[in-house]
Amino acid sequence: MGEDTESSKVNHSFLRDYVTEADVISTVEFNHTGDLLATGDKGGRVVVFQRETVPKGELEQVGETGESGEYNVYSTFQSHEPDFDYLKSLEIEEKINKIRWLPQQNAAHFLLSTNDKTIKLWKVSERDKQPEGYNLKDEEGRVKDISTVTSLQVPVLRPTDLMVEVRPRRVFSNGHTYHVNSISVNSDGETYLSADDLRINMWHLGITDRSFNIVDIKPANMEELTEVITAAEFHPHHCHLFVYSSSKGSLRLCDMRASALCDKHTKLFEEPEDPGSRSFFSEIVSSVSDVKFSHNGRYLLTRDYLTAKVWDLHMEKGPVETYQVHDYLRTKLCSLYENDCIFDKFECVWNSSDSVIMTGAYNSFFRMFDRETGRGVTLEAWRETSKPRAVLRTRRIYTGGKRRRGDVGVDSLDFTKKILHMAWHPEENIIAIASTNNLYIFQDRSLNACAHTHTH
Amino acid sequence: MEYKVEAHRIMSISLGKIYNSRVQRGGIKLHKNLLVSLVLRSARQVYLRDYYGGICLSAQQAREWCEGEYMDSEQDKLVPGSTESLPESDGQSEVAVDKQEPGNVVESHAALDVESEASGEQDHAENGVLDLGCSELKTPEESLEASPTCEVSNVVTTISSNCISGPPPSNPKQAAETPNGCQTDDGESVEENLHEPIVPHTCTNRKRSAEDSELTDSLPKKTKVMSSTLISKNDEKKVDTEEMDTSNVSSLITIFGSSFSGLLSSEDGAQPDSEAEDSDSGQICCDQMLKNLNPWSTAIVAF
Repeated sequence: MGEDTESSKVNHSFLRDYVTEADVISTVEFNHTGDLLATGDKGGRVVVFQRETVPKGELEQVGETGESGEYNVYSTFQSHEPDFDYLKSLEIEEKINKIRWLPQQNAAHFLLSTNDKTIKLWKVSERDKQPEGYNLKDEEGRVKDISTVTSLQVPVLRPTDLMVEVRPRRVFSNGHTYHVNSISVNSDGETYLSADDLRINMWHLGITDRSFNIVDIKPANMEELTEVITAAEFHPHHCHLFVYSSSKGSLRLCDMRASALCDKHTKLFEEPEDPGSRSFFSEIVSSVSDVKFSHNGRYLLTRDYLTAKVWDLHMEKGPVETYQVHDYLRTKLCSLYENDCIFDKFECVWNSSDSVIMTGAYNSFFRMFDRETGRGVTLEAWRETSKPRAVLRTRRIYTGGKRRRGDVGVDSLDFTKKILHMAWHPEENIIAIASTNNLYIFQDRSLNACAHTHTH
Repeated sequence: MEYKVEAHRIMSISLGKIYNSRVQRGGIKLHKNLLVSLVLRSARQVYLRDYYGGICLSAQQAREWCEGEYMDSEQDKLVPGSTESLPESDGQSEVAVDKQEPGNVVESHAALDVESEASGEQDHAENGVLDLGCSELKTPEESLEASPTCEVSNVVTTISSNCISGPPPSNPKQAAETPNGCQTDDGESVEENLHEPIVPHTCTNRKRSAEDSELTDSLPKKTKVMSSTLISKNDEKKVDTEEMDTSNVSSLITIFGSSFSGLLSSEDGAQPDSEAEDSDSGQICCDQMLKNLNPWSTAIVAF
């Protein structure tokens, strides 16, 4: 780890480590151009970062092309508030489960944010001009006394300081009985799906009082419940295709042209369980926590507790690639079950060219796998070592054999520092990693990886 | 053997998680509870499998013989009667499958049986029962089966009625679905004992186990984990055991809502005080839950 020789750091460490529950980041998402990065936290807030554009002159000096700026806070707003379901006497958490950006159509940006029950469409727009010179209102907006108006003037727009306005444009409520775990905007730009534990609904972005139920796996007798929906996503190009994952480790590709209710899958992706590795926790470990289409739409990336798998849409009988994320935990499943870590839902992401996949782990580690070579690397998102412009060092977990300096033993892993949420820039090698209340942004600048962090 | 202890521990932890999920912010998380129930089921299966391995054949034969007689005693649920026979079983609580905890539990259970009659110490009884239910599923069965069939059935009836603090379940299913884990066990024991053939005093623990298994087997699908544990003991009733596999976590959630800590008490008997308190509320809750044939579906539908 980095040098920590200052005693003052030690003194303040407890303050630094103290994290209010509400500040824990619960979702991270780049928009379609990568200029904006949105994060949602457990307190229902959304923070949008914008990449600063470096003037062309500077760019030429540095010798880099394109934007190379850092991400700075662009806007912060309270998306969801704690709510209460009076009928069921249930508290509804304000935690933002997912954020998804809409493709940009005009100067404003739109994003969908959801908590357990309600999805909201927010409009993020800039205002840098302000009308001045009203006849009937003075500068503060108070109505003028008519008798004081002696002449008429035409209001003019004057440039002002940049203001970012965020307004809720739609609220999609009462669509879900169970907890919403995913939202996905369709490639048609008009509809999106929202998935809870047992149902998937399709909404039109302009209609809030109606939604279509396209998947319903709720059994007639709840006692026969065996699996739930864990994640869902629309195909990036085909607006009629979507995939959803289940807690049993299977993926179902559905075609909405086949029928109105897509309970019957078009394709079922399932890997037979290895009987040799059966344990008490086999079912938990095989539950898929995240599913993502590749950018080219040909592959699926899934994450279960111990592995990340790449599936070919044309082959249903098993994944084409399996990557062990932290197999050394396989023998520790019982204690991970006790401390609830086994229920952690890790996300996974593709890079822009679908050649690298990335997912998180514990101890502030995250893993990247190169699909061409099959090799994986462990990196760390930790404040002490991530100084700006610092190079990300690869880390190793010591699982036996020759131990190198810097190796981390399995027993010394910090399971409270988990990397669950992350995002990869849609075009460049810029990644955003959320670790508790910290957001790390790493950029691959030719040879170096430089980092900067944001803390709630 | 290690699997048994491990399975038991995992079951305890799972039940604790289910209980805690009720008070978590945001409501019951269906996915997590489903996974926990699957773990619970797996652990239970291992637990039962291990237990089956220790059963001796003679126990099964004796059980079969007793089976017929139990049917008659089924009506005697309310008879407080022969709790005295219970203490005898204490010494024999050791089952073929070694379990030190069961022994302790059995003794406490036996003691509770006696006390339960007085129904003045339901808490204590519940503690014992809870302990039994939680740590050693076999235990209540064993202790119950130790006594002669008639007595056992009576005692079991007494215990179950005491635990339930109300009229004993009118049918095994209700007993099986008793929310309180320990109570369910007792209820099941009662039911099962009633169905079991009368066991002579000399019945070994294994016999009791077999009887317990049978009792468990006869329980309806909604039987709690405790019941399933008991069932596992019974090789002959394996078919019934499969029915147990469909026990619902949700019913456990509602059932265990009130007094779960008692169920979670380990063999060391830690936290008897807290258990006592929880037993009280649990018992009351159990009474209410007894009437509820379908707590799982009710809870889930509402959810």
